[in-house]
Amino acid sequence: MKVYNPLNIRELDNLISGNVEKFTYVAGSTDLMVNENRWSEAHNLVDISRTDELINTFSIDGNGILIGSAKPFSDIINQQIIREKFPLLVEACRQIGSVQIQNRATFGGNIANASPAGDTLPVLSVLDARIYLGPEEDGKFRIAKVEDVMIGPGQNSLQNNSYIAYIYIPFPDSENHRWYYRKVGQRFALAISKLSLALTAEMSDKKVNEIKICAGSVAPQVKRAYKTEEFLTGKELTNKIIDQSRELIINEIKPITDIRSNSKYRSKITGEVLREALHSLI
Amino acid sequence: MKEEKNMKGISRRRFIKGVGTGIVGSYVMLPTMKDSEAKITKSPKDEVLESVRTETLETTINGRKVKSKVEPRTTLADFLRDYLELTGTKVVCNHGECGGCSVILDGRAVYSCMLLALDANGKEVITIEGLMSGENLHPLQQAFIEHDGLQCGFCTPGQIMAAYALLKKFPNPTDEQIMTGMSGNLCRCAAYPNIIKSVRGAAKKMNS
Repeated sequence: MKVYNPLNIRELDNLISGNVEKFTYVAGSTDLMVNENRWSEAHNLVDISRTDELINTFSIDGNGILIGSAKPFSDIINQQIIREKFPLLVEACRQIGSVQIQNRATFGGNIANASPAGDTLPVLSVLDARIYLGPEEDGKFRIAKVEDVMIGPGQNSLQNNSYIAYIYIPFPDSENHRWYYRKVGQRFALAISKLSLALTAEMSDKKVNEIKICAGSVAPQVKRAYKTEEFLTGKELTNKIIDQSRELIINEIKPITDIRSNSKYRSKITGEVLREALHSLI
Repeated sequence: MKEEKNMKGISRRRFIKGVGTGIVGSYVMLPTMKDSEAKITKSPKDEVLESVRTETLETTINGRKVKSKVEPRTTLADFLRDYLELTGTKVVCNHGECGGCSVILDGRAVYSCMLLALDANGKEVITIEGLMSGENLHPLQQAFIEHDGLQCGFCTPGQIMAAYALLKKFPNPTDEQIMTGMSGNLCRCAAYPNIIKSVRGAAKKMNS
């Protein structure tokens, strides 16, 4: 196995440009090294945890924050501005593995690993995050949504050695911005989700002006619950409406039975957690 | 046999002491070490993997510079245990789920079983062996004895390293901070109440 340590994006892009070999990117290595198949197939390891821009970028402009993909979750949790602007992201990051894993596992890695149970994915989806994909072409990164990068269990859309460079999260533009995040797992630490549900909404009193809902671990992909969102938009949140939306989201998801949970439980809990989420808005 | 020859007859205990006490600045000169670098050029692993390419690893373990050739797939846990014989770091699940292999990498607790040894290049590692000052136990080690923070003791090195990082970050941790900070370390004997007492006790002692 060969290990490459590009120190900046230029070195990284030089390494992969025109190279037909298959590279395996690694930053925190918390997912790769426990996946025996992928680990044994990794012959050209590119360690991006020392790539300057990917590890150090944290820039704030008037509209949002640009974060380097190789930043470990601990760094994200510790940022005051993230705590203020995106508390649901902090909530999701704090529930990943354990302190030791949060110290190593990275923001970009969670996306590239493409697990349906990736805890930050539903959050990035409802926050409308944009993923910057390298290598740069004509000085520009390709920009994609989380849903375009994570396309199935363990499958990402990153072809030809392309990599995740940055994640951009726009600030919510309303004062009435509300949020909810809940992860359901066997225990608090070191548990892989049975369900994670992220929601952002803009409300005028009890009326929903805009709502975004995304559930993780209950479908092969990370997908927003568009039908449920559409149903809720413009409505007053009454008990009746909340109960109806619970039925709607259950029809939108495609939970499976695996070692962590079964599809029946996942369906039920998704409905119930959505009900709790909507009640928390009023 | 090969291994013993390399160590030139130094007992494991002495070697651990040598690498282990470095953190407080004390320094045990080993006959094999010409300067402050412990050059471990051959290990049992190299014998088996002779045809496999190796990379040079330069890191600081418990305050002491270490330079070694490693096979790139070697985890930090295996490097510590098999190359340096620092066997205080325990590999239990080898899957990043139990915390037995916790060490400190550049001031943060990490699982050494899911981390390449090469990742420690240019970084500083502290293991359980690095906590003692001479023959004196670290307040955390003392606290785990005093408060009975263990039963079988196999998870204890990992528990103590997690606690070490926790107390560096929060010298006066709340119970909630202790529980969150220690939640990545499992104890099958379920000594949890006493583990929390030990961490609390050590914090008190270290602040007084």
